[in-house]
Amino acid sequence: MELADRAVGFLLSFISTSIFTYYTFWVIILPFVDSDHFIHKYFLPQEYAILIPVFAGVTLLCFLSVFIGLVMLKSKKKKA
Amino acid sequence: MKHIVKIMTLLVAISAFWMSLLQTSLIPRSYTWLLPLYFIVSLGCYGLLMVGVGLMQFPTCPQEAVLLQQDIKEAKVFLEQKGIDVSSD
Repeated sequence: MELADRAVGFLLSFISTSIFTYYTFWVIILPFVDSDHFIHKYFLPQEYAILIPVFAGVTLLCFLSVFIGLVMLKSKKKKA
Repeated sequence: MKHIVKIMTLLVAISAFWMSLLQTSLIPRSYTWLLPLYFIVSLGCYGLLMVGVGLMQFPTCPQEAVLLQQDIKEAKVFLEQKGIDVSSD
């Protein structure tokens, strides 16, 4: 039981640190590298560094509002 | 009320710092535009990291679990004697 908890915790922290290092590299270090270095192959073009977090944030907001709306509708139906 | 005032002042201070960075071009302009987004992403990452670390370090207390099961058995026997139905169906 605690091993499953440990595994999930380790997976979460690994995902978060990898996202953090990838994003730091993308936004801060990559503009200083010459444009014909091989490392640019591993990173998407720079516009996606803005698009992907904004898209994820908008998706999260939509999901949250849909969820809250569904819960409110369900509670209204139960009362009536 | 006081907690939200603290958070608001922190937000105002950060945005004032960011706008002053925009005015005086200490850092190249493209960086300054991306800085708030970078901080939001890193804040989300930090939250996830804290959740993961807390999950990994959660104590389970196996002895307390055994004692708790004994307590539950005793309570069930006691209540059945008194005539209350405690079967878990």
